[in-house]
Amino acid sequence: MSDFDSGKVDISVIIPVGGRHAADILALYADYRAGLQALGSSYEVIVVLDGPRPEVAADVQRLLSSGERISVISLTRRFEEATALVAGFQRARGRIILTLPAYHQIRGNEIGKLVRALGTADLAIGRRWPRAGSRFETMRRDAFHRVLAAITGQRFHDLGCGARAMKRRVLEEINIYGDQHRFLPVLASRIGFKVLEVELHQSPLDRLEGTYPPREYIRRALDVCAVFFLVRFTKKPLRFFGMLGVTTFVVGAALIAWLTIDRLAFRHPLADRPALLLSSLLVVLGMQLFALGLLGELIIFTHARDIKDYQIDEVVRYPVPQLPPQLPPSPQGAGRLEAPPPRARVQG
Amino acid sequence: MSLDLSVVVPLFNEEESVRPLYAAIVRGVEPLGVSFEIVLVDDGSRDGTVRVADEIARSDPRVCLVKFRRNYGQTPAMAAGIAEARGEIIVTMDGDLQNDPADIGELLARIDEGNDIVVGWRHDRQDKLWTRKVPSRIANALIAKVTGVPIRDNGCSLKAYRACLIKQIPLYSEMHRFIPAMASIAGPRIAEIRVRHHARQFGSSKYGLSRVYKVLLDLMVIKTVASFTARPMLWFGMLSLPMLAAAALALGWTCFTLVSEGRMSLSIAGTGVIFLTSTVMLLAAGALGELIYNLGDLREHQFSGLTQHLLVRGAATHE
Repeated sequence: MSDFDSGKVDISVIIPVGGRHAADILALYADYRAGLQALGSSYEVIVVLDGPRPEVAADVQRLLSSGERISVISLTRRFEEATALVAGFQRARGRIILTLPAYHQIRGNEIGKLVRALGTADLAIGRRWPRAGSRFETMRRDAFHRVLAAITGQRFHDLGCGARAMKRRVLEEINIYGDQHRFLPVLASRIGFKVLEVELHQSPLDRLEGTYPPREYIRRALDVCAVFFLVRFTKKPLRFFGMLGVTTFVVGAALIAWLTIDRLAFRHPLADRPALLLSSLLVVLGMQLFALGLLGELIIFTHARDIKDYQIDEVVRYPVPQLPPQLPPSPQGAGRLEAPPPRARVQG
Repeated sequence: MSLDLSVVVPLFNEEESVRPLYAAIVRGVEPLGVSFEIVLVDDGSRDGTVRVADEIARSDPRVCLVKFRRNYGQTPAMAAGIAEARGEIIVTMDGDLQNDPADIGELLARIDEGNDIVVGWRHDRQDKLWTRKVPSRIANALIAKVTGVPIRDNGCSLKAYRACLIKQIPLYSEMHRFIPAMASIAGPRIAEIRVRHHARQFGSSKYGLSRVYKVLLDLMVIKTVASFTARPMLWFGMLSLPMLAAAALALGWTCFTLVSEGRMSLSIAGTGVIFLTSTVMLLAAGALGELIYNLGDLREHQFSGLTQHLLVRGAATHE
């Protein structure tokens, strides 16, 4: 709710506060602040309240009145973490964006490790290691990451860790919403960013109270499906749906053909055969799947200019010597091409 | 700042070729007396391509370098180069020196004659016979047959386009091979000329037989999409006709038995209802398709640049 400086800062810290947050926000903040101050860079803190959180708002108010320099963004309803991150990012001025969880996952003094990892990577994600937790929890987590690895070809170990450091351009170029924050590393490395997993000591306060409700498992499974389509078939819907649809159609049609032959040659009456229902269902299903693929392809085809399947690192145009450079960015390149002469460089 | 010509060259691990290529392009285009730029697109090369290209760009302001963060493939590289190009005519070519920039003059001449796309035909192709030339022959015959655009050599990258046309054509996946076919939805006039083709001097070929399967799939997709894009409702309507017929047959039979014998078969009635449902769903999908099309980039008026050009040309010859 407040803009303190207009200048640039080194690090923007975004803390999205969702349904799960530390009971003692003040202690958490103090822990993070100690870690951030140890870095020796200028930073700003942006707290995003995902939905009305009166209990947290009171604590944040106390921090503000004690002179802490925090920006607070309060979302009108719960939008989930990724949206909260984006909302925070829109106000962030730092070169480096650091996201921190609103409950004790890591110790504040581990933040430096994450930020330093950006020397070689575009996105550094935390991995709580060594990790506490029951054997069942470990297995559940391992299974989730293995399934994801099988689908995306990228093996991560702790996507649930909310501590991530990234160069500004990562969030500029990635479009995330809802609760896709978990898949930020997957999406980032898909468009060519270098992602590094950094082992961080787990906070002793980080433990799961109770177990995940079954609803959570279903959501996770759906998430995996979504990522699967996002990564594999966004540009080729007809390949996927078409193949599936044609296969189903052919099976159904073959069944119908057999029933017809059976009726004509062997006089088995068609009327009391449930197989007729099954086969016609298959034919219809195949047709519908194919139609879906066609619609998807139509979307890609007519919107290919908006859905680019490549990311430009930079456009290098040296100006003509003497003549004043006039470089109107081409409409297609707009957004990508940030071209201040003398050297058009887009960098993070 | 509008230019006459942009030469777009995707580069992937072509460290040794870049300099000779640049020299050849300048040698080929400068005598034509047109203002031009060269757009080099680095497709995530892992060798010194970027360094060499950057040096060239520094020494010659007519050269622009577009860098990818990683390797995306030839079609995205071309798409990026085309999006970045500022010329009224865009010439694309390979970065491996197998195309000869000396042919650009001929391409431009044919564009000036009123063609919108001029494609090169490597009539004297310098490649291996069995792994490159024969599959290519078959593929080209197939593509020509299926798409109805009679081009003898779709694989040749040396092509010239009017910018107002090519910038509207969706380029994704592996579509660069089918640009003329894709462009045919805009109704351009296409000419084909013989171009020189040299054997590879540096590096190794980046293609093999493995792409056949992809080409076939893409071909099917393009054929379907190109015939369907502009009139999804009609297309889905056609798709739903057999369904409707089956539904009518099954439901008619049900009514008939119900009236004549006082009973009906659940299987047949159910089948009829299923097919009827499907008809409705397909028609709804068609309506959705119309909506998508109307929000998209490919509506006819997007190609008005082309149409105006036609009118100015007047009675152009039909090819």
